[in-house]
Amino acid sequence: YNFCGRGLSKYLSWISKIQVNHPAVLRRAEQIQARRTVKKEWQAAWLLKAVTFIDLTTLSGDDTSSNIQRLCYKAKYPIREDLLKALNMHDKGITTAAVCVYPARVCDAVRALKAAGCNIPVASVATGFPAGQTHLKTRLEEIRLAVEDGATEIDVVINRSLVLTGQWEALYDEIRQFRKACGEAHLKTILATGELGSLTNVYKASMIAMMAGSDFIKTSTGKETVNATFPVAIVMLRAIRDFFWKTGNKIGFKPAGGIRSAKDSLAWLSLVKEELGDEWLKPELFRIGASTLLSDIERQIYHHVTGRYAAYHDLPMS
Amino acid sequence: MAATRAAPHACEIFTSLEYGPVPESHACALAWLDTQDRCLGHYVNGKWLKPEHRNSVPCQDPITGENLASCLQAQAKDVAAAVEAARTAFKSWSAQPGVVRGQHLTRLAKVIQKHQRLLWTLESLVTGRVVREVRDGDVQLAQQLLHYHAIQASTQEEALAGWEPMGVIGLILPPTFSFLEMMWRICPALAMGCTVVALVPPTSPTPLLLAQLAGELGSFPGILNVISGPASLGPILASQPAIQKVAFCGALEGGLRLLIQESVWDEFMRRLQERMGRLRSGQGLDGAVDMGTRGAAACDLAQRFVHEAQSQGAQVFQAGDVPPKSPFYPPTLVSNLPPASPCAQAEVPWPVVVASPFRTAKEALAVANGTPRGGSASVWSERLGQALELGYGLQMGTVWINAHNLRDPSVPTGGCKESGCSWHGGPDGLYEYLRPSRTPIQVSCLSKNMNYDTFGLAVPSTLPAGPEIGPSPAPPYGLFVGGRFQAPGARSSRPIQDSSGNLHGYVAEGGAKDIRGAVEAAHQAAPGWAGQSPGARAGLLWALAAALERRKSTLASRLERQGVELKAAEAEVELSARRLRAWGARAQAQGHTLQVSGLRGPVLRLREPLGVLAVVCPDEWPLLAFVSLLAPALACGNTVVMVPSAACPLLALEVCQDMATLFPAGLANVVTGDRDHLTRCLALHQDVQALWYFGSAQ
Repeated sequence: YNFCGRGLSKYLSWISKIQVNHPAVLRRAEQIQARRTVKKEWQAAWLLKAVTFIDLTTLSGDDTSSNIQRLCYKAKYPIREDLLKALNMHDKGITTAAVCVYPARVCDAVRALKAAGCNIPVASVATGFPAGQTHLKTRLEEIRLAVEDGATEIDVVINRSLVLTGQWEALYDEIRQFRKACGEAHLKTILATGELGSLTNVYKASMIAMMAGSDFIKTSTGKETVNATFPVAIVMLRAIRDFFWKTGNKIGFKPAGGIRSAKDSLAWLSLVKEELGDEWLKPELFRIGASTLLSDIERQIYHHVTGRYAAYHDLPMS
Repeated sequence: MAATRAAPHACEIFTSLEYGPVPESHACALAWLDTQDRCLGHYVNGKWLKPEHRNSVPCQDPITGENLASCLQAQAKDVAAAVEAARTAFKSWSAQPGVVRGQHLTRLAKVIQKHQRLLWTLESLVTGRVVREVRDGDVQLAQQLLHYHAIQASTQEEALAGWEPMGVIGLILPPTFSFLEMMWRICPALAMGCTVVALVPPTSPTPLLLAQLAGELGSFPGILNVISGPASLGPILASQPAIQKVAFCGALEGGLRLLIQESVWDEFMRRLQERMGRLRSGQGLDGAVDMGTRGAAACDLAQRFVHEAQSQGAQVFQAGDVPPKSPFYPPTLVSNLPPASPCAQAEVPWPVVVASPFRTAKEALAVANGTPRGGSASVWSERLGQALELGYGLQMGTVWINAHNLRDPSVPTGGCKESGCSWHGGPDGLYEYLRPSRTPIQVSCLSKNMNYDTFGLAVPSTLPAGPEIGPSPAPPYGLFVGGRFQAPGARSSRPIQDSSGNLHGYVAEGGAKDIRGAVEAAHQAAPGWAGQSPGARAGLLWALAAALERRKSTLASRLERQGVELKAAEAEVELSARRLRAWGARAQAQGHTLQVSGLRGPVLRLREPLGVLAVVCPDEWPLLAFVSLLAPALACGNTVVMVPSAACPLLALEVCQDMATLFPAGLANVVTGDRDHLTRCLALHQDVQALWYFGSAQ
């Protein structure tokens, strides 16, 4: 699909007329959390599935090759072997979906995963993460360098100022340039919804990002004050659904930032299941950007298998 | 341990990611039923009552059909006993200071909090409703209601001075109801000092549990009494002499009507159907389902409705993850139903939703207001101005904008048209259970010889009865309808006699056709009058008061002929004028209020005029009563059709002369004639919004 010329302007004019009913979204968000729960073996199975959706992330100023190596190992063996054996899932190849790092650490990550004998993709953030306030030239160069180093997935941030000033066509052009720079790599577009101001802007930005060729749309960088919340997620999921109805293309969704407990992850899974259906519950179309979530899930599974609550030192750190 | 059992399952669930059941145990509900040996009686005066020789009716689980318990059917004797208990309790309960009552209600709320699991489990098990709805909605709201009314009770002496509690309240509940509906009515009644006797259908034990919880508080055992019995006991309850008021709650169907603007019709239908596909229906006590069931009877009703709709040409869409057998009925969407079909006028059963398109906001209002139901509605739009316009125009008790079904104890709920005529909740709802202090207690009597069919049909014929002796000029002859005096349709008259038995004059004999004409004229004047500002209304009432004073001598002499002394007559005229002025002042002061409650967003309480009011005046005080009833109705923006005092309507006709010059046409209409006959005509007329009757006991 290629939107250009008259097709593009028709879509842009349609997009500019859209409005999102704020109270209705808030109400739906409240409902979702209350309406669906899973218990017992269903909970254990869902949590394991959630593990396979995680993009295990470390984005700190003090990352070095040693903690990257530990992270990659944890990505290959996210849950303790004996727990998986108890659930009869030890031979299913359960790993996280990807490992997410800064561009400078991509080489370390690729090396560590190779040493562990694992083919999980390495995702790199790019384009002036997290604020995106650098020149376009350097942002594009960052993407190219990360791809060269071996990253097969790129998480870019959009230029919020374009959204806030309503320059939709310019936003479309920028994202298309990111797409070209990625080449064969998988493009995830971060909308930084906490800074977009209104749910209507979130919807419009999602549409533009999908039209411009993103493979995934992502809620936030994890560094804003407000990251992934249910109202924003509902708006984005509806945008994905509308895009699918219009063009037949399935775009993926990734919430990131603030998802820390296993209970949260279950709520997110049921949100996607309710809004988009079972076809989206695959690592190709759904990811969760998280770092401490994995240890909480491991503790829950420990409790399910043994009936006891684990201390932090009982489980390997990541 | 969990490990070995989970082994085969986890792999399959891992691939399918299905939801499992999340059942809540109903063991506690069964345990409570066991304490009563699965045989429930009545709860009166703080004790269980199990009279002998009564029939019993099984209480069944609506999903599995198994018998949970059997409930006794009451008889008239039991009703009388309960009412007597309530009456004795009333004497001490109403004498308590408001603060004590408030504290008692708070203690009841705490008891509910302690036993809430039992309460919601029992309710969900017996009615089949989703446990989540009962737990998060009903039980919490019940506690909030109790707390709110406890506070109202404690400030009752200052805030509501001059009002006293009514007495014993009888409450009649329909076969399917939630205990929350019962709480909406009980809380204000108890708070204000009344005591309650509730007649519940034998298939719901939850009110009995509630009564037991209330009774176990100890201090005031008789304030809440619950009898389970058939609906035929309703009139018997109502006719008990100690019952001062009966609150009747009719059966509520749960279906909805959707009105969707045509331009978004396709898109909306698509999204709605997509969402319906995700609904899950199952056992009420399962925590992960969206909908429960309401029993086999409700399922049949829904099925019949859908079949009929289909036969009338509608399209039916059903979806959702629903167990296939009765009593589960899948959520259903009915569209393209022709508006003239009988289904479109009937109440929509649960869980059916009927969707219809509209083109403009005006059309939407016409469709929405075109049904006899007027409970509640919600308007969804991004444009605030348009949403508010629709909100004002809808003739419904409650309108939510961009929300649905938000309830709060401080916000009154009620209905219009056929949905009801009383209000619950909030400061207004308290007045339902109060009456002005020192009014005499009316003993209700159910006339055994009441024959509704023949009441007021026959009109006695009139013959000439002697010379007319009266001050000249006599008041104009005719009925005052539409701003002028018209001849009656029946073209006959009736004589009016003065206190010494002589003929005072003739007045026109009004009949059914005249009533119809009067109501039509009132309706024509209604929108204009309702749209007048309060100041304008006040001004007109004051002008009428001044006119009365100018006419004082004529009015006084007429009153004298009726046997009233001159001084008293003049006092009556002055009092009438004063009352008019007082109501005029009130008209100006009345306004809409903006309320902030626990809900998100403000609440706007609009006091709207009812429409056309019919008033039948008493025989006594022919002038004062007429004016005192006319003034409040007009002050609030209604138009009136009045039947003046049968003994001497001439005074009313005098006032009409002034009204002819001052008021817009049709604002007030006066029809003289046989009171019973006219009352019958007014009562049967379906376009009269309310009827105030001050006539005979019949």
